Amino acid sequence: MPWRLLRFALSNKHPEPRMFTRHDTLKPAYDVVIIGGGGHGLAAAYYLARDHGITNVCVLEKGYLGGGNTGRNTTIIRSNYLTPEGVKFYDESVRLWQDLSTDFDLNLFYSNRGHFTLAHTDAALRTSRWRAEVNKHFGIESEVVGPEAVKKAAPMIDLSCGGHAPILGALYHAPGAVARHDAVAWGYGRGADLRGVEIHQRTEVLGIDVVGGKVTGVRTNRGNIATGKVLCAVAGSTPRVLDMVGIRSPIYVHPLQAMVSEPVKPWLDPILVSGSLHVYISQSARGELVMGASLDPYEVQSTRSTFDFPEGLSAHMLDMFPFLSNVKVMRQWAGMADMTPDFAPIMGRTPVEGFYLDGGWGTWGFKATPVCGKTMSYTVANDRNHDLITGFTLDRFRNFELTGEKGAASVGH
Amino acid sequence: MTCPVNGPRAISEFAYGGEIRPMPDPTTCSDDAWADYVFNRNGSPGVKREWWCHTPSNTWFVAERDTARDVIVRTYLYAGDS
Amino acid sequence: MSAIAFENVSRTPRAGVKGPGAAAWIAALDLPVPRAPNSWLPLPGGLIARLGLTEFLVEGSEAAKLAAPLSPGVYPVLRQDTALVLHGARLNELLLETCSVDFRALNLSTRPVVLTSMAGVGVTVIPGEGGGMPCCRIWCDSTYGEWFVETLTGVAGELEQPGHPCNQGVTA
Repeated sequence: MPWRLLRFALSNKHPEPRMFTRHDTLKPAYDVVIIGGGGHGLAAAYYLARDHGITNVCVLEKGYLGGGNTGRNTTIIRSNYLTPEGVKFYDESVRLWQDLSTDFDLNLFYSNRGHFTLAHTDAALRTSRWRAEVNKHFGIESEVVGPEAVKKAAPMIDLSCGGHAPILGALYHAPGAVARHDAVAWGYGRGADLRGVEIHQRTEVLGIDVVGGKVTGVRTNRGNIATGKVLCAVAGSTPRVLDMVGIRSPIYVHPLQAMVSEPVKPWLDPILVSGSLHVYISQSARGELVMGASLDPYEVQSTRSTFDFPEGLSAHMLDMFPFLSNVKVMRQWAGMADMTPDFAPIMGRTPVEGFYLDGGWGTWGFKATPVCGKTMSYTVANDRNHDLITGFTLDRFRNFELTGEKGAASVGH
Repeated sequence: MTCPVNGPRAISEFAYGGEIRPMPDPTTCSDDAWADYVFNRNGSPGVKREWWCHTPSNTWFVAERDTARDVIVRTYLYAGDS
Repeated sequence: MSAIAFENVSRTPRAGVKGPGAAAWIAALDLPVPRAPNSWLPLPGGLIARLGLTEFLVEGSEAAKLAAPLSPGVYPVLRQDTALVLHGARLNELLLETCSVDFRALNLSTRPVVLTSMAGVGVTVIPGEGGGMPCCRIWCDSTYGEWFVETLTGVAGELEQPGHPCNQGVTA
């Protein structure tokens, strides 16, 4: 046994520095309080400290770091969206992803795979062409390909999908990638921690004080904090936090379920998504097949799983890949998706001064983690919405100016 | 879930119709009130009154459901104007 | 011989009405009205079923009576169903495999009608018994008809395989 490990095991105190500094108490005041210790909240903390020099910041997390949707998604990263606002925003995110491992000095297992959105109907093919044209206009690699290209990239596929839904073509997006999602939260968290940001886990926000339309403090189960700026990055809990400051929003919460199979030998390189069959699938570095489907059909604010889900998803998966019939499902889980009517997020300043929102991330939030951190830290630091997020503000609903991403945000809609 | 007409059935036989929300009069209400009705939702957990439909019989009814625990409290036919 | 016999009776005449005035209108046509929701009554050469609270289905020669002029609160329902009669010793196993309702638990003397989903298709079912064996009538939307029949026949075929768990300890 290496001496270092033995010393570590025998010592009462940890002789090695921990990943994160432990803070026993909350300070009475911070410049910025970030609610939510997932990827988005920690990224905002990281860029606040690194790019804006604001380090008197605390991140409050009810559970543990990355235990929400950051650790529950299917880790897909892409930028082939439908609206100019969406495309520019997600493209910046993909750019940031590519050198994040170096930035953190932590391996995120960022793995460029290529991403196929399969079209089984003329309507889906039409949306694919539309997306490809918008994408190319903004310089993003995105093109419509025929079924033979799909077969070449994934030779095991049944192009007729059991005869029910023959594949007519696909939108191919070469930069599509996967990454290890929990490492993203740890990377941003450690980077923020090293720069003086305090991360408090198991700290639940009970209320937010607003005086004269302005944020003055946050009440938690571990004491009260005075602050003038609060950033809310809590995914499926967003409506609950908005209730604390009296803001109405169009967000509705449905669970999104996912599952992984037992590990198998590498056979699937690209990421495949099918809107008609309501499935997406990729193979992780460990060999597990990571699979997801569309949202649960009704509102639930918990992360319960159902038996209907693996049953339905497996049936569709077998339409695409009949040879998987003997592969076992190993785990299933759910995340709470904070959905919006136009399938675009809600970001930026709000009617309450000093309260900033990074929510409405529904089923499309993981890929946006870096750019959300960048743009929200800018917005919080300057009290001005970053140029990239002006299409995503809360008042777009009141003004009937929606940013329609439904055709590109997820499957099965 | 128990359909008030057809009895207890698997949840897969039902379709969710959203929370019951009163509609403001579109000819007299302000644009803000109308936008609030069109878009805004009560997204926090709690016991809510919702529309559900038993799809094989096309029976619409009301379910009171705890959306935090996904537990149905009771179901009944809508008693309002029909 | 097959353990479950399928008979396609889609061509039997049938007609439907619904609406708050439907029950009174049917009674005025000298047809018997099933009192309880989701129950049925026999007719000469057919039957009348009450689907839910205010919808009626008449099948057989009496269906022609529903061509009478409608009164207020009565609306016609287009019935272009695929209709099947299933009969056989293995029928309950077929129903259990494709549907979440346990038909064996129903009291047949109350003449129940069951609206449910079978193999993912919305169906109306009247369970019964004939010659000591279970039988049932099933109606479904005809656009699903071909697929539905194919699926049920497929499952019925599987039930007859010697290796099927249902066949262990059972003599044909």
